[in-house]
Amino acid sequence: MLDFLYLNGWGAFVMVLLMAVPFAVVFTYVIHKKTVVDQGPAATLPDKISQIEIGWIALVLVVFVGVNLYSISYMPTARTANALASGQDIQQVDLTARSWSYEISNRTVKAGTPVRFSGKSADTMHGFAIYHPDGDVLFTMMLMPGLEGSTSIIHTFDEPGIYTIRCLEYCGLAHHAMRDQLTVVQNDG
Amino acid sequence: MLSATTIIQKIPLFGGMFSVDRSTGLEEINSWPALMILTSFIWLAVAGLLGVAMPLVQLLGINTNLFYMSLTAHGAALAFPFVFQLMIGVGLHRLGSCVGKPITGPIPALIYIFMNLGAALLTVAILMGLNISLVTMFPLPVVGVMTGQWSMNALIIGFSGIALVLITMIVLYPVQVIRMSFFEERREDLLLSERSLKDPGMLGMVLSALVLLVAGIPLLIVASAILGALYGIIPMAAIGWATKPVVFQFVFFIFAHNLMEAMALMVISAVYATLPLYLADGTRKLYSDKLANLALWILLLTSVTSFLHHFITLFPNMPAYMAYHGNIMSFGTGVGAALSIFTILATVWKHGLRMAPGLAAILVGFVLYILDGASAVVTSNVAWAYQLHGTMWQSGHTMTVLVSMSLMWMGVLYHHYPVITGREIDEKLGNLFVKFCSVGVIGAALVMLAGGSAGMPRRFADWGQGGWMGYGNLILIFGLIIGIAYIIYAMSLIKSRNLPAATNY
Ligand SMILES: [Cu+2]
Repeated sequence: MLDFLYLNGWGAFVMVLLMAVPFAVVFTYVIHKKTVVDQGPAATLPDKISQIEIGWIALVLVVFVGVNLYSISYMPTARTANALASGQDIQQVDLTARSWSYEISNRTVKAGTPVRFSGKSADTMHGFAIYHPDGDVLFTMMLMPGLEGSTSIIHTFDEPGIYTIRCLEYCGLAHHAMRDQLTVVQNDG
Repeated sequence: MLSATTIIQKIPLFGGMFSVDRSTGLEEINSWPALMILTSFIWLAVAGLLGVAMPLVQLLGINTNLFYMSLTAHGAALAFPFVFQLMIGVGLHRLGSCVGKPITGPIPALIYIFMNLGAALLTVAILMGLNISLVTMFPLPVVGVMTGQWSMNALIIGFSGIALVLITMIVLYPVQVIRMSFFEERREDLLLSERSLKDPGMLGMVLSALVLLVAGIPLLIVASAILGALYGIIPMAAIGWATKPVVFQFVFFIFAHNLMEAMALMVISAVYATLPLYLADGTRKLYSDKLANLALWILLLTSVTSFLHHFITLFPNMPAYMAYHGNIMSFGTGVGAALSIFTILATVWKHGLRMAPGLAAILVGFVLYILDGASAVVTSNVAWAYQLHGTMWQSGHTMTVLVSMSLMWMGVLYHHYPVITGREIDEKLGNLFVKFCSVGVIGAALVMLAGGSAGMPRRFADWGQGGWMGYGNLILIFGLIIGIAYIIYAMSLIKSRNLPAATNY
């Protein structure tokens, strides 16, 4: 459940619905009730309203803190730190983006072993997003020209397959054609 | 007679909608705002056509350059000369009538000229090929010249236009608000609905002016340096610091992010001011002014540094702790929103409500704004940002925040309309507008978020590539519904009737 929520774009969509739908229902109910059903001032005691106020703010804080705490172990930044700390072998992929293609040191990597992607841009802003063969975005990186260091993330692929690479930062008239491929093979070691 | 009144009279179709009622003695607060509002709707018409053009270009498989041209022009027209100008117009009108100060003199005229001339120059540059998207993607404008995508002339014209727009938003408008709020003598004859600056309905207006000024100055300095070099006034070698992409990107988003938050502060403040006027028991009091103001302050304080969420995926060039900070601050703005929600609902619950088309537009706009807030905080979380950054999710967020804010302003405008024109809008059409707009915007927002969830890239001329054309078709359908809603809005003004006798402002 948490894996779906935090590791999939549709998980994010569900999260928005979880927040937005109850809000929309309550909001609509209150407005309808106080414009159509009964326009008069409410008989609710001020103390009761204050209690609801405290309850509501507490609920929001708990949800916000919870959503963010649970997300930590799913953050690619945290996963990168964990992979480094684990002392595992890391496959290195260096890449340079320029309008409108990628220079990639190694287009084949093994599943199950962490891969560090380190990218730079040679001209303008570019992106480097890896799409799972089923179409989900696994992660995207922002490549900004003129920086000393690379943008970098460590990712471990679970499944072999042909993964699509796309640029997700608008970079000019052939932006949509800036595409490449990465092959993930079974780890037989 | 004010020159703005004369100009309004000479504009076909739109002029009729906003002809200023000169019998009321309020021309000095009505004229310039009316002209700004009117012109913002002309830009809306342009932006709307371009918005529909984007999916249409893809559907019909027309040249991809045309897609990027529509994209850039649509975003630029919608954000600045439409939403921001509408906000200036209604906002200044509100300010003038609440503090009793005229909106006359050179600054309102300069605001009007700079905003519209700037937007027009940028549009010309875009037609000349400068297709750099709404956020300029610096250094793309310069790289595009070097790679032959557009000409140096297009770049210079475009940047000149952007500079004029920036001066309006960062200097002229805040200066006008500060002048009217703190200086100048009050005129009792212009005072329609007195408010102190501590009033939640006024506080957001002043805070937002300060935010624009403070958050915009760094961008203005960098942009002036670059423009100076493009004009050949400053040697290129002297402005190396300003052309570093990282410098430009950071000052750009410090401004652009806080611009959105400043607009939110202003519009929530306007909601706080307008809602009590429709309370059924006639109390005209919010549930709690303190809580309302607290929401504005939280929004202000958390928003300043939440712009860092634009650079989460730049790690480790932007260290992780800054990404987390942006993440947390973004959710902090959500706490401010939660307080606003409570204030509004508790106010309505306590006093009951008389519904009117303007109020309905404000409330629906607020609901959309909160729904959009949910999508905004989710994509600001570091884990989700890595999957959603650069996808249609964020276009959905941008579109929804702009449309929801403009919807609230259009509702507030319904409320101001009788003061400006001496006429009453057509209520039936007003209600119909709110219905169409709700369906169109909720539909478009959900489809765009869903597209993002499915990996559909934003600013991308080939939706067929990953099987995203279905989302594109739905965007077109909901876009058309939004377009119909705006036409109904125009009709509700065109079919307005003369007010009976006394106005109840
Ligand atoms: Cu690119």
